Formats: sequence, structure tokens, C-alpha cells
Amino acid sequence: MPGAMQSSLASLHDVELCSYAAAGERRAFGELVRRHGSGIRHLLRRMGAQAAEADDVAQDAFLAAFERITEFRGEGTFAGWVKRIAARQYLRRLQREKRLSAFAAERGEDEADPSVGDAGDRIDLDEGLKALSPAERLCVSMCYGAGLSHGEAADALNLPLGTVKSHVKRGLEKLRARLAPGEGVVLEGRRGNG
Amino acid sequence: MAEVDFERRLERLFADAPDYPDAQGFADRIEGRLNRGWTARRWLIGAAGLAGGIIGASQLVMSNLFQRAEAAEQSAKVLTQGLSHVTSTSDMVAAISGGYGLWIAVGLAVVAMGFAVSRVIEEI
Repeated sequence: MPGAMQSSLASLHDVELCSYAAAGERRAFGELVRRHGSGIRHLLRRMGAQAAEADDVAQDAFLAAFERITEFRGEGTFAGWVKRIAARQYLRRLQREKRLSAFAAERGEDEADPSVGDAGDRIDLDEGLKALSPAERLCVSMCYGAGLSHGEAADALNLPLGTVKSHVKRGLEKLRARLAPGEGVVLEGRRGNG
Repeated sequence: MAEVDFERRLERLFADAPDYPDAQGFADRIEGRLNRGWTARRWLIGAAGLAGGIIGASQLVMSNLFQRAEAAEQSAKVLTQGLSHVTSTSDMVAAISGGYGLWIAVGLAVVAMGFAVSRVIEEI
């Protein structure tokens, strides 16, 4: 791509790039990937995917987003929209490989001591997520990273709503203990029944 | 209120992801895949258009169109001869209704049919 073209695309807003991409302009979509690719890949790693797997799923998610770009109405952010696609694709992959049931069946043992860590010095979400069980990690990442409601997460995971809420609640408690140890409030998750 | 604050903080933390050093390469790979897909699609559309044109042409041949056209051509010649007595511009009518004119029209029809099929597939 010529440098001038790339720099002109770099100055455009996401919504403008989306409208160009909807018209079939693949370089505009490439600019969107450049902007948000790392965020999507990192979310998938936070959900529990290995690096290579996260990259594969992120690629598939972006390709799916390009195919469905006309469905993006600009009601939320482009990154948020792709994150939801990516989260669902990751779940589908887990289901396909029969790994999701193992995640869901997992009951969230306290395998790590949540009091350990230096949250007072530096907020480190990635480290905090490692203290969560796979199911808690998945549910918390879907709800707070991909922006799904508890109900949407339950549908995507094919789990009862109550189970998802329990995973989220336990996950938030552990994260809070690591990231904000001074605040001892019991967390239910404000996403409620949604 | 504290839990709401914590959840908002958590969302901000989730939104805050590091820039990967290979972000450009990752984007280039996706752009490459999109371009390959686009090229393949264009080939597919072109092939479908060509196939549509061939099918259209074969349908024309199979429907005895040419025999009918030749009969019409004979009629046109008779008509042209009649007209030549009336006006000199009938030379042009005769040229168009001659054998070459007919074949050019058929060829154009096939090309137009192929183009139309291509457009329809592309729209779908």
C-alpha cells in the first residue's frame, strides 16, 4: 500500500473506515485491524486461549466481521462489536473441540491464593485472571471484556444463567481481592439478569 | 456503589490491551486473506458469467433460432428490395439485415447475457 494512502486512512475515524470497508475497500478494513487487532487477540488470551489459538480465532473473527460489516450500525464501538464476534467464535471452537463442557463442568476451586499479589503497586489484570478457574475466567472475560450480558454469556456457553452468575461472582471476588484488596464488598455483578 | 466502580474499573482494564509488536504483520495477513478471497470470488464470478453465456448461446442454437432468423432474413431481403424502390436509405437496412449483422447481434446477445449473469451473481 502506498504510504500516502495508508496515512490518509490512519487519519479516519473507525466509523468512516467501516463505511469504506462496507463498500469493499479492503485497505480500510486493514487499518481497522491494525488499530484493534492487538485488543482482540489479548481479549482471547485473557479468555484462556493460547497465543497461536488466539491469533487464529482473531483472524477468523476479523474475516467474519468483514463479511458482516454492513450489519455494524455504529451503535457501539467497532472494537466492541468484533470482540463479541471473537468471543463467540472462541466458544464455538471450544465446543467443536469438546473443550467447552470441561470448562463448564469445572467448579472453580480456589487453586490460587487471591491475597497473593502486589495489586497496591500495579493493577495487573492479566495476573489477576490467572488466579481464576477457567470457567470464571471465561465468564468474567466475556461479560467485562467482550461486553456480553450474563444472559448472552449463558446462551453462548449453553449454561444456566445462575451458573454463569456464580462464575462471574466468584471471579469478581477473586479479582477484587487481587486488584483492590482494601475493598471487601461482596460482588454480584451489576449486569443482573440481562 | 463500590462494586459498580470496581466493575467499571474492570471494564477499563479489559479495554486496556498492550500493542503487540507484530500488529502490522497480523493486519497484513488478514488483508492478504481478504485480497485472496476477493480474487477467487472474481474468478468465480467470471467463470459463472462465461458458463452462463455458453449456456445461453447453446440454448439459442438448440431452439432453431438460426433457421427462423434465416427465414426472417429472407423476408427482410424481399422487404429491402421492395423498399429500395422507395428510398435510397434502404441500403443501410439491407446491410444490417444481412448475414453478418445477424451474427453480430447474436454475439452481442451472448456477451450481454454473460454480463447480466455476472452482475446477478455479484449482487447475490
